[in-house]
Amino acid sequence: MAREQQLTKVFVEVADSLIDDFDLIDFLQRLSERCVELLDVAACGVLLADEHDVLQVLAASDENTRLLELFALQHDQGPCVECYRSGRPRTNIDLADPNASQAWPQFTPAALQSGFLSTNAIPMRLRGRVIGALGLFQTRDSALSDADTALAQALADVATIAILQQRTLAHSETERGQLQYALTSRIVLEQVKGILAERWQVTPDQAFAAFRAYARSHHHQLSHLARLIADGEFDTDQIPRSPRHR
Amino acid sequence: MISDGMAEVLRLLQRDEGFDAAADVAVLAAVTLGVTGLTVSLATGGDRAELMWCTDDAAGSFEDLQFTLGEGPGPEAVRGDAMVLVPDLALVRPERWPALSVEAAGLAARAVFCFPMGIGAIRVGVLTLVRRTAGPLTDGQVGDAQVLAHALAGRALGSVVPGPNGAAPADSADALLHAVVHQATGMVSVQLDVSLPQALLRLRAHAYSSGRPLTDVSRDVVARRLRLDLNGNGDGNPLPVSDKD
Repeated sequence: MAREQQLTKVFVEVADSLIDDFDLIDFLQRLSERCVELLDVAACGVLLADEHDVLQVLAASDENTRLLELFALQHDQGPCVECYRSGRPRTNIDLADPNASQAWPQFTPAALQSGFLSTNAIPMRLRGRVIGALGLFQTRDSALSDADTALAQALADVATIAILQQRTLAHSETERGQLQYALTSRIVLEQVKGILAERWQVTPDQAFAAFRAYARSHHHQLSHLARLIADGEFDTDQIPRSPRHR
Repeated sequence: MISDGMAEVLRLLQRDEGFDAAADVAVLAAVTLGVTGLTVSLATGGDRAELMWCTDDAAGSFEDLQFTLGEGPGPEAVRGDAMVLVPDLALVRPERWPALSVEAAGLAARAVFCFPMGIGAIRVGVLTLVRRTAGPLTDGQVGDAQVLAHALAGRALGSVVPGPNGAAPADSADALLHAVVHQATGMVSVQLDVSLPQALLRLRAHAYSSGRPLTDVSRDVVARRLRLDLNGNGDGNPLPVSDKD
């Protein structure tokens, strides 16, 4: 598909979501997947700062725990933190460059070990404030062009708008409240991955795949369904389990 | 960034041996946050909450009232997983909290700010700030209050495990940034048939007693290299089937 066509599709999808009741984590995850396609990168993650100014992973293009952990490593070091603090994008960082491993001694080897060659960080801005960063990883030696960077910034801005647009927060009047709600939802999701993984004797990643497929096909919001499961108010036997189950 | 005042509150909190001796810390926190008083209620299972901190009668009466009535900014913050800020109770539409709007008129509270304490689906309680005069919190005060609520939640969830000399907790604060810790919490809750907060406590207890970071223990649980028993001990071997009821 030509890039214009792809962009049109993403634009329509984004607009559709934002005018409707939508699930933030699911939305950001789809947006991360679109970033991967549009920017021709290998992985994308949305990181949001918590009340301690520490970056937390809200969504990633691929929900596998290994990738989530790699993004989590960027809570106190790595290009996303620098981008968050400076408010400026950091693009086309060569992970094999000795400067990278010197600057970020934990993050750089972990990223290389995951097969990534270069990385980028794009700020998520809100009225002069930076609330988080979009992290992009590449497995091939191909630099992001200026046009790519501009597009990445636009996608980061869409993520920011989505976070502040959550409909379910009728009573959360503040931006800080919305950010907090988003971060809490993410943690609930991880706790539920564990609950389902143990009930079904599969990995958390497999449990999440089954859970998300069920939520999407039944038009449940991921965060809402996760909350019900965590509170013991949803019979998880209704969810078709992974084929690996007994 | 948190204020110097709140940094001092957190230092005192960490040094403090228990919540009983925390009255001075609570008062200092209220002063730092620019409010008349504050309460900290712990969820004790069910709808009743246990008052852990209470700086004064005005704050205590308001907290009692909203939990008796089951409505108000506190219960709403707990149910909605987000802070509820009410800069002027007199301006709240009566239909939002019908019973409270009638009863609260007789209380000294004019502005109320509630911050849920919890970790994901684990609801620990709520921090409620009360002021006799109307007006919003500053952005900095909101940030400070969030940090305090977070610290109190962490303390409430780690209090079963005494740190060395009553000091540092068994895990660093950033352990909770790791998805794997939350996944392990969910797994342990099913394995031992306990609540999520209980599961996190068992994980912490095991990390502490084995001298390993919480993230490492969690990774082992998720990879099924480790299975905790009801005492929070693990023998390091995966057990495909639990022999306990």
